[in-house]
Amino acid sequence: MLVLTRKLGEAIAIDDDIKIVVVQIKGGQVRLGIEAPHHTKIHREEIYISIQEQNKLAAESQNPTPVKNVAKSVRPS
Amino acid sequence: MIVETTRFGSISVVEEDILTFSEGMLGFSKIDSYVLVERMDESLFLWLQAVKKPSVAFPLLEPQILDRGYKVELEDEDRKSLKLGNDLSGAKVFCIITIPTDPTKMTANLKAPIVINLKKRIAKQVILHSQDYPIRKAIFSDLQQHCATHQRTIFPTTETTAYQAIHLSDEMKMILKEV
Repeated sequence: MLVLTRKLGEAIAIDDDIKIVVVQIKGGQVRLGIEAPHHTKIHREEIYISIQEQNKLAAESQNPTPVKNVAKSVRPS
Repeated sequence: MIVETTRFGSISVVEEDILTFSEGMLGFSKIDSYVLVERMDESLFLWLQAVKKPSVAFPLLEPQILDRGYKVELEDEDRKSLKLGNDLSGAKVFCIITIPTDPTKMTANLKAPIVINLKKRIAKQVILHSQDYPIRKAIFSDLQQHCATHQRTIFPTTETTAYQAIHLSDEMKMILKEV
């Protein structure tokens, strides 16, 4: 991972069209401003991860049937 | 063609009923072909079955069952990749359900539903960034109520296990009728 040190108000350029600015530093939090083309997907990472994890659980859903014939997979994902 | 599944046995699927998720589902980016499967009785769930991965299937419900006011506001980029217009006509929305070993603890993901363009057979799991919906909404008691008033069942009542692929053209006709 590339690690760069930036001061308040300074920015990082990625390619020709993405810019990330340090907008505020306060306590343990950093506010970032991001300029990017429309099609760039930008998310708080935890939402992404949370949905991925939920999808994995959903895909392991047991088929609710009155017959108990489905051998339960105990393989951890 | 025949689609093999671990939950529903072998299912006969017509090519035109296969949905393409060009970006895959989150966490399942390598799987891009799915088919909708339903049980041939009055039980509630549909399943999104991976065509080439027998063990991967997601239970689905129509969000209106869970939240009457549920509304999807697509971001431009999602609309574009789904080739949909502003009014979402010809689109069908489903929420992914997680059914754990204790089914009374089942939850629905209202934050990241699946949107299907029925005509073009393309689909995508979208994230509703601007809308404050939960990723894990407990739904069991709501479902029980819904089933009581609509004469449906959460769980199958019979032991015969007959499943079939859903024909997208039929879904399309149903939507047109509703409008």
